[in-house]
Amino acid sequence: MIWNKIESSPRETIEQLQLSRLKDTVQRVYALTPFYRHKFEQTGIKPEDIASLKDIKKLPFTTKKDLRAHYPFGLFTVPMSEVVRIHSSSGTTGKPTVVGYTRSDMEVWDEVMARVFTMAGTTAEDIVHNGYGYGLFTGGLGMHNGAQKVGATIVPASSGFTERQLMLMKDFGATILAVTPSFALHMAEVAKKAGPDYLKDYKLKAGIFGAEPTSKGLKEEVSKAWGIDYHEVYGLSEIIGPGVACSCKKSDLLHVFEDHFFVEIIDPATGEEVPEGQRGELVITPLTKQALPLLRYRTGDITSITKEPCRCGRTMLRMESIVGRTDDMLIIGGVNVYPSQIEHVISNAYGVTLNYQIIADKKGYLDKLEIHIEVSDEIVCDNVAQMENIKKSIQAALLSNLYINATVRLVEPRSIERSMGKAVRIIDKRKSDE
Amino acid sequence: MSKIKQLSVFMENKKGELSDVMTLLSQNNVSIKSINLVDSADFGILKLIVDDEQKTKHILDDAGFSVKITDVFAVAIDDHVGSFHEVVSVLSQNDINIEYTYTVNNGQNGAFVFKVDAGDFQKATEALSKAGVQLLQKI
Ligand SMILES: [Zn+2]
Repeated sequence: MIWNKIESSPRETIEQLQLSRLKDTVQRVYALTPFYRHKFEQTGIKPEDIASLKDIKKLPFTTKKDLRAHYPFGLFTVPMSEVVRIHSSSGTTGKPTVVGYTRSDMEVWDEVMARVFTMAGTTAEDIVHNGYGYGLFTGGLGMHNGAQKVGATIVPASSGFTERQLMLMKDFGATILAVTPSFALHMAEVAKKAGPDYLKDYKLKAGIFGAEPTSKGLKEEVSKAWGIDYHEVYGLSEIIGPGVACSCKKSDLLHVFEDHFFVEIIDPATGEEVPEGQRGELVITPLTKQALPLLRYRTGDITSITKEPCRCGRTMLRMESIVGRTDDMLIIGGVNVYPSQIEHVISNAYGVTLNYQIIADKKGYLDKLEIHIEVSDEIVCDNVAQMENIKKSIQAALLSNLYINATVRLVEPRSIERSMGKAVRIIDKRKSDE
Repeated sequence: MSKIKQLSVFMENKKGELSDVMTLLSQNNVSIKSINLVDSADFGILKLIVDDEQKTKHILDDAGFSVKITDVFAVAIDDHVGSFHEVVSVLSQNDINIEYTYTVNNGQNGAFVFKVDAGDFQKATEALSKAGVQLLQKI
Protein backbone atom coordinates (compact mmCIF):
# COMPACT_ATOMS: atom_id res chain seq x y z
CA MET A 1 0.00 0.00 0.00
CA ILE A 2 1.27 3.42 -0.97
CA TRP A 3 -0.36 6.55 0.47
CA ASN A 4 0.58 9.11 -2.19
CA LYS A 5 1.35 8.41 -5.85
CA ILE A 6 4.32 10.77 -5.72
CA GLU A 7 6.11 8.07 -3.69
CA SER A 8 6.26 5.85 -6.77
CA SER A 9 6.52 8.52 -9.49
CA PRO A 10 9.42 8.58 -11.96
CA ARG A 11 12.52 10.13 -10.41
CA GLU A 12 12.48 12.98 -12.98
CA THR A 13 9.04 14.01 -11.72
CA ILE A 14 10.24 13.98 -8.12
CA GLU A 15 13.39 15.92 -9.00
CA GLN A 16 11.47 18.59 -10.95
CA LEU A 17 9.22 19.09 -7.96
CA GLN A 18 12.28 19.27 -5.69
CA LEU A 19 13.91 21.93 -7.83
CA SER A 20 10.90 24.20 -7.94
CA ARG A 21 10.38 23.81 -4.19
CA LEU A 22 14.08 24.41 -3.48
CA LYS A 23 13.97 27.65 -5.47
CA ASP A 24 10.93 28.80 -3.48
CA THR A 25 12.62 27.94 -0.19
CA VAL A 26 15.79 29.84 -1.12
CA GLN A 27 13.75 32.91 -2.15
CA ARG A 28 11.85 32.67 1.07
CA VAL A 29 14.83 32.54 3.43
CA TYR A 30 16.68 35.21 1.47
CA ALA A 31 13.74 37.56 1.78
CA LEU A 32 12.65 36.71 5.32
CA THR A 33 15.63 35.50 7.40
CA PRO A 34 18.34 38.08 8.13
CA PHE A 35 20.61 35.22 9.25
CA TYR A 36 20.54 33.64 5.75
CA ARG A 37 20.52 36.91 3.82
CA HIS A 38 23.71 37.85 5.64
CA LYS A 39 25.32 34.49 4.79
CA PHE A 40 24.32 34.87 1.11
CA GLU A 41 25.82 38.32 0.99
CA GLN A 42 29.04 37.15 2.61
CA THR A 43 29.58 34.47 -0.05
CA GLY A 44 28.14 36.49 -2.92
CA ILE A 45 25.28 34.05 -3.62
CA LYS A 46 21.95 35.23 -5.06
CA PRO A 47 18.75 33.13 -5.03
CA GLU A 48 18.88 33.12 -8.88
CA ASP A 49 22.14 31.16 -8.70
CA ILE A 50 20.10 28.05 -7.86
CA ALA A 51 19.28 26.75 -11.34
CA SER A 52 19.61 23.01 -10.78
CA LEU A 53 19.57 20.64 -7.81
CA LYS A 54 23.37 20.41 -8.01
CA ASP A 55 23.56 24.11 -7.21
CA ILE A 56 22.46 23.32 -3.66
CA LYS A 57 26.19 22.95 -2.93
CA LYS A 58 26.51 26.72 -3.21
CA LEU A 59 24.25 27.20 -0.20
CA PRO A 60 25.54 27.55 3.36
CA PHE A 61 25.11 24.83 5.96
CA THR A 62 22.98 25.29 9.07
CA THR A 63 23.90 23.68 12.39
CA LYS A 64 22.27 23.08 15.76
CA LYS A 65 24.49 25.87 17.06
CA ASP A 66 22.77 28.33 14.71
CA LEU A 67 19.39 27.25 16.06
CA ARG A 68 20.57 27.71 19.64
CA ALA A 69 22.04 31.11 18.85
CA HIS A 70 18.60 32.24 17.69
CA TYR A 71 16.69 30.78 20.63
CA PRO A 72 13.75 30.70 20.80
CA PHE A 73 12.07 32.12 17.65
CA GLY A 74 14.88 34.02 15.89
CA LEU A 75 14.84 31.96 12.68
CA PHE A 76 11.05 31.84 12.26
CA THR A 77 9.90 33.43 9.00
CA VAL A 78 6.26 33.99 9.93
CA PRO A 79 4.56 36.09 12.63
CA MET A 80 3.56 34.14 15.73
CA SER A 81 -0.09 34.52 14.73
CA GLU A 82 0.61 32.02 11.93
CA VAL A 83 2.47 29.57 14.17
CA VAL A 84 0.04 26.94 15.42
CA ARG A 85 2.40 24.60 17.24
CA ILE A 86 5.72 24.67 19.09
CA HIS A 87 7.91 21.65 19.78
CA SER A 88 11.32 21.41 21.29
CA SER A 89 14.10 18.90 21.61
CA SER A 90 15.53 18.13 24.99
CA GLY A 91 18.74 20.06 25.47
CA THR A 92 21.20 18.00 27.46
CA THR A 93 23.51 20.99 27.43
CA GLY A 94 22.16 24.52 27.73
CA LYS A 95 19.05 25.71 25.92
CA PRO A 96 16.84 23.34 23.95
CA THR A 97 16.22 23.86 20.23
CA VAL A 98 12.77 25.23 19.50
CA VAL A 99 10.80 24.56 16.33
CA GLY A 100 7.50 26.01 15.09
CA TYR A 101 4.83 24.90 12.63
CA THR A 102 2.31 26.84 10.57
CA ARG A 103 -0.99 25.25 9.59
CA SER A 104 0.59 24.22 6.29
CA ASP A 105 3.63 22.70 8.09
CA MET A 106 1.23 20.63 10.18
CA GLU A 107 -0.44 19.38 7.00
CA VAL A 108 2.93 18.31 5.61
CA TRP A 109 3.73 16.52 8.85
CA ASP A 110 0.36 14.71 8.83
CA GLU A 111 0.96 13.77 5.20
CA VAL A 112 4.42 12.25 5.68
CA MET A 113 3.31 10.43 8.83
CA ALA A 114 0.31 9.05 6.92
CA ARG A 115 2.84 7.63 4.42
CA VAL A 116 4.72 6.05 7.35
CA PHE A 117 1.58 4.39 8.74
CA THR A 118 0.57 3.20 5.29
CA MET A 119 4.03 1.65 4.78
CA ALA A 120 3.39 -0.37 7.94
CA GLY A 121 0.06 -1.51 6.47
CA THR A 122 -2.18 0.69 8.62
CA THR A 123 -5.75 1.41 7.46
CA ALA A 124 -8.94 2.75 9.04
CA GLU A 125 -9.57 -0.80 10.33
CA ASP A 126 -6.50 -0.71 12.59
CA ILE A 127 -6.07 0.14 16.25
CA VAL A 128 -2.83 2.03 16.86
CA HIS A 129 -1.33 1.84 20.32
CA ASN A 130 0.81 4.97 20.63
CA GLY A 131 3.28 4.65 23.48
CA TYR A 132 5.49 7.57 22.47
CA GLY A 133 5.54 10.39 25.00
CA TYR A 134 3.04 13.19 24.30
CA GLY A 135 4.49 16.63 24.93
CA LEU A 136 7.17 18.94 23.64
CA PHE A 137 8.97 15.93 22.18
CA THR A 138 7.72 15.41 18.60
CA GLY A 139 7.34 11.60 18.88
CA GLY A 140 3.94 11.30 20.53
CA LEU A 141 1.98 13.93 18.60
CA GLY A 142 3.77 13.14 15.32
CA MET A 143 2.62 9.53 15.51
CA HIS A 144 -0.81 10.64 16.64
CA ASN A 145 -1.30 12.92 13.62
CA GLY A 146 -0.26 10.26 11.11
CA ALA A 147 -2.52 7.58 12.57
CA GLN A 148 -5.40 10.05 12.59
CA LYS A 149 -4.77 11.00 8.96
CA VAL A 150 -5.11 7.38 7.78
CA GLY A 151 -8.27 7.08 9.86
CA ALA A 152 -7.07 4.43 12.30
CA THR A 153 -8.28 4.26 15.90
CA ILE A 154 -5.61 5.82 18.12
CA VAL A 155 -4.99 4.81 21.71
CA PRO A 156 -2.93 7.76 23.01
CA ALA A 157 -1.26 5.78 25.80
CA SER A 158 1.88 7.96 25.99
CA SER A 159 4.94 6.56 27.76
CA GLY A 160 5.43 4.71 31.04
CA PHE A 161 3.12 2.41 33.08
CA THR A 162 4.12 -0.77 31.26
CA GLU A 163 1.60 -3.12 32.92
CA ARG A 164 -1.29 -0.78 32.19
CA GLN A 165 -0.17 -0.33 28.56
CA LEU A 166 -0.11 -4.10 28.10
CA MET A 167 -3.59 -4.38 29.53
CA LEU A 168 -4.89 -1.72 27.11
CA MET A 169 -3.17 -3.41 24.16
CA LYS A 170 -4.82 -6.73 25.03
CA ASP A 171 -8.27 -5.38 25.88
CA PHE A 172 -8.51 -2.99 22.92
CA GLY A 173 -6.94 -5.44 20.46
CA ALA A 174 -4.17 -3.12 19.21
CA THR A 175 -2.87 -4.13 15.77
CA ILE A 176 -0.15 -1.49 15.28
CA LEU A 177 2.40 -0.61 17.95
CA ALA A 178 4.19 2.75 17.93
CA VAL A 179 6.86 3.02 20.66
CA THR A 180 10.63 3.33 21.01
CA PRO A 181 12.39 0.01 20.30
CA SER A 182 13.85 -0.21 23.78
CA PHE A 183 10.42 0.26 25.34
CA ALA A 184 8.96 -2.37 22.97
CA LEU A 185 11.54 -4.83 24.24
CA HIS A 186 10.85 -3.93 27.84
CA MET A 187 7.11 -4.40 27.24
CA ALA A 188 7.80 -7.84 25.76
CA GLU A 189 9.84 -8.84 28.81
CA VAL A 190 6.96 -7.92 31.08
CA ALA A 191 4.40 -9.57 28.78
CA LYS A 192 6.41 -12.82 28.81
CA LYS A 193 5.74 -13.21 32.53
CA ALA A 194 2.25 -14.37 31.52
CA GLY A 195 3.81 -17.55 30.14
CA PRO A 196 5.42 -18.86 26.95
CA ASP A 197 2.24 -18.44 24.89
CA TYR A 198 1.79 -14.78 25.88
CA LEU A 199 1.42 -13.72 22.21
CA LYS A 200 -2.03 -15.34 21.99
CA ASP A 201 -3.43 -12.42 24.01
CA TYR A 202 -2.29 -9.84 21.45
CA LYS A 203 -3.31 -8.99 17.89
CA LEU A 204 -0.28 -6.91 16.84
CA LYS A 205 0.86 -7.22 13.22
CA ALA A 206 3.33 -4.37 12.77
CA GLY A 207 5.27 -1.80 14.73
CA ILE A 208 6.64 1.64 13.94
CA PHE A 209 9.83 2.25 15.84
CA GLY A 210 12.24 5.13 16.00
CA ALA A 211 13.69 7.98 18.04
CA GLU A 212 16.81 6.11 19.13
CA PRO A 213 19.76 4.44 17.38
CA THR A 214 19.05 0.74 17.09
CA SER A 215 21.30 -2.18 16.20
CA LYS A 216 20.16 -4.90 13.83
CA GLY A 217 20.17 -7.37 16.70
CA LEU A 218 17.79 -5.27 18.76
CA LYS A 219 15.41 -4.87 15.80
CA GLU A 220 15.31 -8.62 15.29
CA GLU A 221 14.67 -9.16 18.98
CA VAL A 222 11.74 -6.72 19.01
CA SER A 223 10.31 -8.20 15.85
CA LYS A 224 10.57 -11.75 17.23
CA ALA A 225 9.34 -10.95 20.74
CA TRP A 226 6.11 -9.43 19.37
CA GLY A 227 5.81 -11.50 16.19
CA ILE A 228 5.49 -8.35 14.06
CA ASP A 229 6.92 -6.53 11.04
CA TYR A 230 9.48 -3.95 12.10
CA HIS A 231 9.24 -0.53 10.46
CA GLU A 232 11.85 2.01 11.35
CA VAL A 233 10.90 5.68 11.19
CA TYR A 234 13.49 8.45 11.09
CA GLY A 235 13.15 12.13 11.77
CA LEU A 236 14.28 15.03 13.89
CA SER A 237 12.39 17.98 15.28
CA GLU A 238 14.59 20.53 13.49
CA ILE A 239 13.35 19.15 10.17
CA ILE A 240 9.77 18.17 11.12
CA GLY A 241 9.82 15.40 13.77
CA PRO A 242 9.28 11.72 12.91
CA GLY A 243 8.34 11.32 9.25
CA VAL A 244 11.47 12.20 7.26
CA ALA A 245 11.93 8.57 6.23
CA CYS A 246 10.59 5.10 6.97
CA SER A 247 11.37 1.50 6.00
CA CYS A 248 8.84 -0.38 3.85
CA LYS A 249 7.82 -4.05 3.86
CA LYS A 250 10.44 -5.05 1.29
CA SER A 251 13.62 -3.47 2.59
CA ASP A 252 15.46 -2.56 5.79
CA LEU A 253 16.46 0.74 4.22
CA LEU A 254 14.36 3.84 4.85
CA HIS A 255 12.57 5.65 2.01
CA VAL A 256 13.12 9.40 2.33
CA PHE A 257 10.07 11.53 1.48
CA GLU A 258 12.09 13.47 -1.03
CA ASP A 259 9.32 15.74 -2.25
CA HIS A 260 9.52 17.41 1.17
CA PHE A 261 13.11 16.76 2.22
CA PHE A 262 16.20 17.06 0.03
CA VAL A 263 19.01 14.91 1.37
CA GLU A 264 22.76 14.97 0.80
CA ILE A 265 25.55 12.86 2.27
CA ILE A 266 28.77 14.76 2.94
CA ASP A 267 32.18 14.08 4.37
CA PRO A 268 31.81 15.68 7.81
CA ALA A 269 35.42 16.83 7.77
CA THR A 270 35.44 18.59 4.38
CA GLY A 271 31.75 19.30 3.72
CA GLU A 272 32.14 17.74 0.24
CA GLU A 273 29.54 15.36 -1.17
CA VAL A 274 30.52 11.67 -1.01
CA PRO A 275 29.69 9.18 -3.80
CA GLU A 276 26.32 7.39 -3.64
CA GLY A 277 26.47 4.41 -1.31
CA GLN A 278 29.31 5.76 0.78
CA ARG A 279 28.73 6.73 4.40
CA GLY A 280 28.89 10.28 5.62
CA GLU A 281 26.88 12.92 7.45
CA LEU A 282 23.24 13.31 6.50
CA VAL A 283 22.35 16.89 5.50
CA ILE A 284 18.68 17.77 5.01
CA THR A 285 17.02 20.76 3.36
CA PRO A 286 13.28 20.80 4.05
CA LEU A 287 11.58 21.90 0.83
CA THR A 288 8.14 22.95 2.04
CA LYS A 289 8.64 24.32 5.55
CA GLN A 290 7.00 27.68 6.22
CA ALA A 291 7.63 28.59 9.87
CA LEU A 292 11.20 27.41 10.09
CA PRO A 293 12.79 26.79 6.68
CA LEU A 294 16.41 25.70 7.01
CA LEU A 295 19.10 25.29 4.39
CA ARG A 296 21.34 22.22 4.42
CA TYR A 297 20.82 21.29 8.04
CA ARG A 298 23.66 19.14 9.36
CA THR A 299 22.00 16.35 11.31
CA GLY A 300 25.20 14.89 12.77
CA ASP A 301 23.78 11.46 11.85
CA ILE A 302 25.91 9.08 9.80
CA THR A 303 24.28 7.08 7.03
CA SER A 304 24.45 6.32 3.30
CA ILE A 305 21.86 6.55 0.53
CA THR A 306 20.95 4.55 -2.57
CA LYS A 307 18.73 5.45 -5.52
CA GLU A 308 18.34 1.83 -6.61
CA PRO A 309 14.70 0.91 -7.21
CA CYS A 310 12.95 -0.84 -4.33
CA ARG A 311 10.81 -3.96 -4.75
CA CYS A 312 7.91 -2.20 -3.01
CA GLY A 313 7.44 0.06 -6.05
CA ARG A 314 8.45 3.31 -4.38
CA THR A 315 11.01 5.35 -6.30
CA MET A 316 12.06 7.61 -3.45
CA LEU A 317 15.69 7.05 -2.49
CA ARG A 318 16.53 5.00 0.57
CA MET A 319 18.93 5.62 3.43
CA GLU A 320 20.35 3.02 5.77
CA SER A 321 19.56 3.02 9.44
CA ILE A 322 21.74 5.58 11.27
CA VAL A 323 25.13 4.00 12.00
CA GLY A 324 26.49 6.67 14.32
CA ARG A 325 26.97 10.32 15.15
CA THR A 326 29.63 12.57 13.67
CA ASP A 327 30.65 13.52 17.21
CA ASP A 328 31.66 9.89 17.81
CA MET A 329 33.55 9.32 14.58
CA LEU A 330 37.14 8.18 14.93
CA ILE A 331 39.70 8.44 12.17
CA ILE A 332 42.17 5.58 12.49
CA GLY A 333 44.98 5.54 9.97
CA GLY A 334 42.79 7.47 7.53
CA VAL A 335 39.80 5.13 7.92
CA ASN A 336 36.56 6.51 9.39
CA VAL A 337 35.15 4.28 12.10
CA TYR A 338 32.07 4.64 14.26
CA PRO A 339 31.80 2.99 17.66
CA SER A 340 28.48 1.46 16.55
CA GLN A 341 30.29 -0.47 13.82
CA ILE A 342 32.79 -1.81 16.33
CA GLU A 343 29.94 -2.66 18.66
CA HIS A 344 28.27 -4.62 15.89
CA VAL A 345 31.40 -6.76 15.43
CA ILE A 346 31.64 -7.36 19.18
CA SER A 347 27.97 -8.31 19.36
CA ASN A 348 28.65 -11.15 16.93
CA ALA A 349 31.51 -12.52 19.03
CA TYR A 350 31.28 -15.36 21.49
CA GLY A 351 32.06 -15.21 25.21
CA VAL A 352 32.30 -11.43 25.55
CA THR A 353 29.90 -8.67 26.64
CA LEU A 354 28.99 -5.34 25.06
CA ASN A 355 30.95 -3.54 27.75
CA TYR A 356 33.93 -2.33 25.83
CA GLN A 357 36.27 0.61 25.58
CA ILE A 358 37.97 1.95 22.48
CA ILE A 359 41.33 3.55 23.11
CA ALA A 360 42.91 5.52 20.28
CA ASP A 361 46.53 6.54 20.65
CA LYS A 362 49.58 7.36 18.57
CA LYS A 363 52.66 5.22 18.25
CA GLY A 364 55.18 7.47 16.59
CA TYR A 365 53.25 8.87 13.64
CA LEU A 366 50.90 5.93 13.43
CA ASP A 367 47.44 5.68 14.92
CA LYS A 368 47.01 2.78 17.27
CA LEU A 369 43.67 1.35 18.27
CA GLU A 370 43.14 -0.84 21.27
CA ILE A 371 39.78 -2.29 22.26
CA HIS A 372 39.19 -3.64 25.74
CA ILE A 373 36.24 -5.98 26.04
CA GLU A 374 34.88 -7.44 29.24
CA VAL A 375 34.45 -11.20 29.14
CA SER A 376 31.10 -12.69 30.12
CA ASP A 377 30.28 -13.26 33.79
CA GLU A 378 30.92 -16.94 33.40
CA ILE A 379 33.83 -17.62 31.05
CA VAL A 380 32.73 -19.68 28.09
CA CYS A 381 35.83 -21.86 28.03
CA ASP A 382 38.63 -22.36 30.49
CA ASN A 383 41.26 -23.05 27.91
CA VAL A 384 43.69 -20.20 27.25
CA ALA A 385 44.16 -21.12 23.60
CA GLN A 386 40.40 -21.03 22.96
CA MET A 387 40.08 -17.68 24.71
CA GLU A 388 42.94 -16.40 22.56
CA ASN A 389 40.97 -17.55 19.51
CA ILE A 390 37.97 -15.47 20.56
CA LYS A 391 40.22 -12.45 20.73
CA LYS A 392 41.85 -13.23 17.37
CA SER A 393 38.51 -13.74 15.65
CA ILE A 394 37.32 -10.31 16.82
CA GLN A 395 40.54 -8.76 15.51
CA ALA A 396 40.10 -10.53 12.19
CA ALA A 397 36.47 -9.37 11.88
CA LEU A 398 37.46 -5.76 12.62
CA LEU A 399 40.07 -5.95 9.88
CA SER A 400 37.91 -7.60 7.25
CA ASN A 401 34.68 -5.68 7.95
CA LEU A 402 35.97 -2.25 8.96
CA TYR A 403 39.52 -2.26 7.59
CA ILE A 404 40.98 -1.39 10.94
CA ASN A 405 43.94 -2.96 12.63
CA ALA A 406 43.04 -3.11 16.28
CA THR A 407 44.51 -4.90 19.25
CA VAL A 408 41.81 -6.55 21.29
CA ARG A 409 42.33 -7.14 24.99
CA LEU A 410 39.99 -9.33 26.97
CA VAL A 411 39.45 -7.90 30.42
CA GLU A 412 37.66 -8.93 33.60
CA PRO A 413 33.95 -8.23 34.06
CA ARG A 414 33.14 -4.76 35.41
CA SER A 415 36.76 -3.66 35.11
CA ILE A 416 36.07 -0.89 32.58
CA GLU A 417 35.46 2.46 34.14
CA ARG A 418 31.76 3.38 34.34
CA SER A 419 30.17 6.77 34.09
CA MET A 420 26.51 6.97 35.19
CA GLY A 421 26.29 3.18 35.03
CA LYS A 422 27.47 2.98 31.41
CA ALA A 423 30.92 1.87 30.32
CA VAL A 424 33.03 4.79 29.06
CA ARG A 425 33.22 3.94 25.35
CA ILE A 426 35.94 6.03 23.83
CA ILE A 427 39.21 7.41 25.05
CA ASP A 428 41.11 9.38 22.42
CA LYS A 429 44.56 10.00 23.82
CA ARG A 430 45.61 11.69 20.56
CA LYS A 431 43.37 14.65 21.33
CA SER A 432 45.37 15.77 24.35
CA ASP A 433 48.47 16.19 22.17
CA GLU A 434 46.84 18.60 19.75
CA MET B 1 32.07 -40.75 41.88
CA SER B 2 35.29 -39.73 40.26
CA LYS B 3 34.07 -36.30 39.14
CA ILE B 4 36.19 -33.50 40.57
CA LYS B 5 34.86 -29.93 40.48
CA GLN B 6 37.41 -27.40 39.35
CA LEU B 7 37.02 -23.60 39.34
CA SER B 8 38.36 -21.73 36.32
CA VAL B 9 38.94 -18.03 36.84
CA PHE B 10 39.65 -15.49 34.09
CA MET B 11 42.42 -13.15 35.21
CA GLU B 12 44.10 -10.24 33.51
CA ASN B 13 47.88 -10.27 33.67
CA LYS B 14 48.19 -7.46 36.14
CA LYS B 15 50.77 -7.17 38.84
CA GLY B 16 49.50 -8.51 42.14
CA GLU B 17 46.36 -10.06 40.62
CA LEU B 18 47.16 -13.61 41.68
CA SER B 19 48.13 -12.64 45.19
CA ASP B 20 44.94 -10.58 45.49
CA VAL B 21 42.90 -13.68 44.66
CA MET B 22 44.84 -15.77 47.15
CA THR B 23 44.37 -13.18 49.90
CA LEU B 24 40.64 -12.97 49.16
CA LEU B 25 40.25 -16.74 49.39
CA SER B 26 42.27 -17.12 52.55
CA GLN B 27 40.33 -14.30 54.23
CA ASN B 28 37.21 -16.32 53.47
CA ASN B 29 38.75 -19.52 54.86
CA VAL B 30 38.74 -21.34 51.56
CA SER B 31 40.96 -24.38 51.65
CA ILE B 32 42.84 -24.67 48.36
CA LYS B 33 43.75 -28.18 47.24
CA SER B 34 45.49 -27.23 44.02
CA ILE B 35 46.42 -24.22 41.91
CA ASN B 36 47.35 -24.07 38.25
CA LEU B 37 47.79 -20.94 36.14
CA VAL B 38 48.13 -20.87 32.37
CA ASP B 39 48.59 -17.48 30.78
CA SER B 40 48.98 -15.69 27.49
CA ALA B 41 50.36 -12.22 26.85
CA ASP B 42 47.50 -10.34 28.49
CA PHE B 43 45.33 -12.75 30.41
CA GLY B 44 45.45 -16.10 32.10
CA ILE B 45 43.15 -18.77 33.42
CA LEU B 46 43.59 -19.83 36.99
CA LYS B 47 42.40 -23.33 37.84
CA LEU B 48 41.58 -24.06 41.44
CA ILE B 49 40.41 -27.15 43.26
CA VAL B 50 38.99 -26.21 46.65
CA ASP B 51 37.03 -27.72 49.52
CA ASP B 52 33.75 -25.95 48.66
CA GLU B 53 33.49 -24.90 45.04
CA GLN B 54 30.02 -23.28 45.28
CA LYS B 55 31.00 -21.06 48.17
CA THR B 56 34.26 -20.14 46.44
CA LYS B 57 32.44 -19.33 43.19
CA HIS B 58 30.16 -16.95 45.11
CA ILE B 59 33.13 -15.21 46.69
CA LEU B 60 34.84 -14.77 43.31
CA ASP B 61 31.61 -13.77 41.53
CA ASP B 62 31.00 -11.09 44.14
CA ALA B 63 34.54 -9.81 43.66
CA GLY B 64 33.75 -9.41 39.94
CA PHE B 65 35.66 -12.33 38.46
CA SER B 66 34.53 -14.37 35.51
CA VAL B 67 34.35 -17.88 36.96
CA LYS B 68 33.20 -21.26 35.72
CA ILE B 69 32.92 -24.64 37.40
CA THR B 70 34.29 -27.45 35.26
CA ASP B 71 34.27 -31.22 35.74
CA VAL B 72 37.71 -32.86 35.62
CA PHE B 73 39.09 -36.22 36.68
CA ALA B 74 42.44 -37.17 38.17
CA VAL B 75 44.81 -40.10 38.56
CA ALA B 76 47.56 -40.49 41.14
CA ILE B 77 51.07 -40.04 39.72
CA ASP B 78 52.76 -42.90 41.49
CA ASP B 79 49.78 -45.24 41.37
CA HIS B 80 51.90 -47.37 39.15
CA VAL B 81 54.46 -46.52 36.55
CA GLY B 82 52.98 -45.04 33.40
CA SER B 83 49.60 -43.93 34.76
CA PHE B 84 49.70 -40.80 32.62
CA HIS B 85 50.53 -42.75 29.48
CA GLU B 86 47.79 -45.28 30.22
CA VAL B 87 45.11 -42.60 30.53
CA VAL B 88 46.21 -40.96 27.30
CA SER B 89 46.16 -44.20 25.34
CA VAL B 90 42.74 -45.31 26.68
CA LEU B 91 41.28 -41.93 25.78
CA SER B 92 42.79 -41.92 22.32
CA GLN B 93 41.54 -45.47 21.64
CA ASN B 94 38.07 -44.14 22.44
CA ASP B 95 38.49 -41.03 20.25
CA ILE B 96 38.31 -38.71 23.21
CA ASN B 97 40.23 -35.48 22.91
CA ILE B 98 42.05 -34.12 25.97
CA GLU B 99 41.47 -30.36 26.24
CA TYR B 100 44.18 -29.89 28.82
CA THR B 101 46.02 -31.66 31.58
CA TYR B 102 48.22 -30.52 34.46
CA THR B 103 49.85 -31.95 37.54
CA VAL B 104 49.08 -31.12 41.17
CA ASN B 105 50.85 -31.97 44.37
CA ASN B 106 48.45 -33.33 46.94
CA GLY B 107 50.23 -34.45 50.06
CA GLN B 108 53.05 -36.86 49.27
CA ASN B 109 51.39 -38.16 46.11
CA GLY B 110 51.10 -35.99 43.03
CA ALA B 111 48.19 -36.29 40.61
CA PHE B 112 47.46 -35.68 36.93
CA VAL B 113 44.28 -33.69 36.28
CA PHE B 114 42.52 -34.16 32.94
CA LYS B 115 39.87 -32.09 31.20
CA VAL B 116 37.90 -33.54 28.30
CA ASP B 117 34.91 -32.15 26.44
CA ALA B 118 31.88 -32.10 28.78
CA GLY B 119 29.98 -34.35 26.34
CA ASP B 120 32.75 -36.99 26.55
CA PHE B 121 33.15 -36.95 30.31
CA GLN B 122 31.08 -39.99 31.18
CA LYS B 123 32.39 -42.00 28.27
CA ALA B 124 35.96 -41.20 29.33
CA THR B 125 35.57 -42.17 32.98
CA GLU B 126 33.74 -45.36 32.07
CA ALA B 127 36.41 -46.39 29.59
CA LEU B 128 39.14 -45.71 32.14
CA SER B 129 37.39 -47.72 34.86
CA LYS B 130 36.93 -50.58 32.44
CA ALA B 131 40.63 -50.48 31.63
CA GLY B 132 41.35 -50.71 35.35
CA VAL B 133 42.67 -47.16 35.79
CA GLN B 134 42.04 -45.99 39.35
CA LEU B 135 40.51 -42.48 39.31
CA LEU B 136 40.89 -40.31 42.39
CA GLN B 137 37.70 -39.54 44.36
CA LYS B 138 39.05 -36.20 45.46
CA ILE B 139 42.17 -34.09 45.49
ZN1 LIG C 1 10.52 0.07 -0.51
